[in-house]
Amino acid sequence: MNNKNLDCKKIEELLSGFIENDLSPDERRNVEQHLASCSKCSEKEENILHLRSVLPELTTDIPFFMKNRLYYIAEAEEHEPDKQWPYIKWVAAAIGTIILFLNLFYFTNIFPAANKTLHTAVAGIEKFVVETEAFFERIKESNNNLRINKNESISKNDEEETEKETTKMTKKGVIYG
Amino acid sequence: MLIDKYSNSVYNLAYNFCGNKDDASDITQDIFIKIYNNIDKFNENYNLSSWIMRLSKNHCIDHWRKNKKNALRIDFEENLAVEDESPEEELIKSREIEDLRETLLKLKPEYRALIIFRDINNNSYQEISELLDIPLGTVKSRINRARIQLAGLYKNE
Repeated sequence: MNNKNLDCKKIEELLSGFIENDLSPDERRNVEQHLASCSKCSEKEENILHLRSVLPELTTDIPFFMKNRLYYIAEAEEHEPDKQWPYIKWVAAAIGTIILFLNLFYFTNIFPAANKTLHTAVAGIEKFVVETEAFFERIKESNNNLRINKNESISKNDEEETEKETTKMTKKGVIYG
Repeated sequence: MLIDKYSNSVYNLAYNFCGNKDDASDITQDIFIKIYNNIDKFNENYNLSSWIMRLSKNHCIDHWRKNKKNALRIDFEENLAVEDESPEEELIKSREIEDLRETLLKLKPEYRALIIFRDINNNSYQEISELLDIPLGTVKSRINRARIQLAGLYKNE
């Protein structure tokens, strides 16, 4: 009985190979002999054979609407901003985190050294902004002055020109006959 | 294009893995999004088909594990009408398909995937060995065990 059980176990391991013609001639002969004498294993073989004949019926084609949806997804994926700038999310997340921590250190005193450094940096930035504004203001002012001087010199030249012209005409006796 | 070549295999795997068309559609869609998102990581020295089917199998197993409780909702197969079969024969056939699909869901996910690859999608042992990255001998013995188990469950239905 034990020997038979052992045989059945061995034969069971070879059943798929037997069905799919994937055994050596010796193995095949052994399986054939065993199946002829063992109804239990023979039934198992028949069950597997039946299963293999029915399983391909479970094949289904993908529904048309689903295939269309996949085409649409493929199109959308190609134009997704992530594909054009793959690291944009990470860069945005990093910037956000940095801003968050800077705010935390600036408005709280959890790390006094960081807080002091940030306040110094902000003061420096404010000073820089004020100086830059003053610098541009000075440039603007000097441009205005230049424009006024230029206008004044133009009108002075015009006056001189008119005067010269009048003198010339007087000499020729055009004006006073 | 990827969709033309692989959508049927992926959908079949998903459908037979979860047993109903709605979930199969969602799974197929998620798998293709995953494929597009990870295609840059694909090593061109490997087989694209194996990579896609491995990714699909892993996704199906993950989905199955997350949705085990409501997984046994089976679609009744309606599209199996064959011209030379009577309505009664059609009904019997449909019932048989339905039972088989239900029985397939009772197999453990790894065995189910093997049966789908070999006996439904008709992949060769070599292809299955490559896509699952396990030795050929192991694939053969596991498929044999899966068939014996499935045959036993199906017989008792």
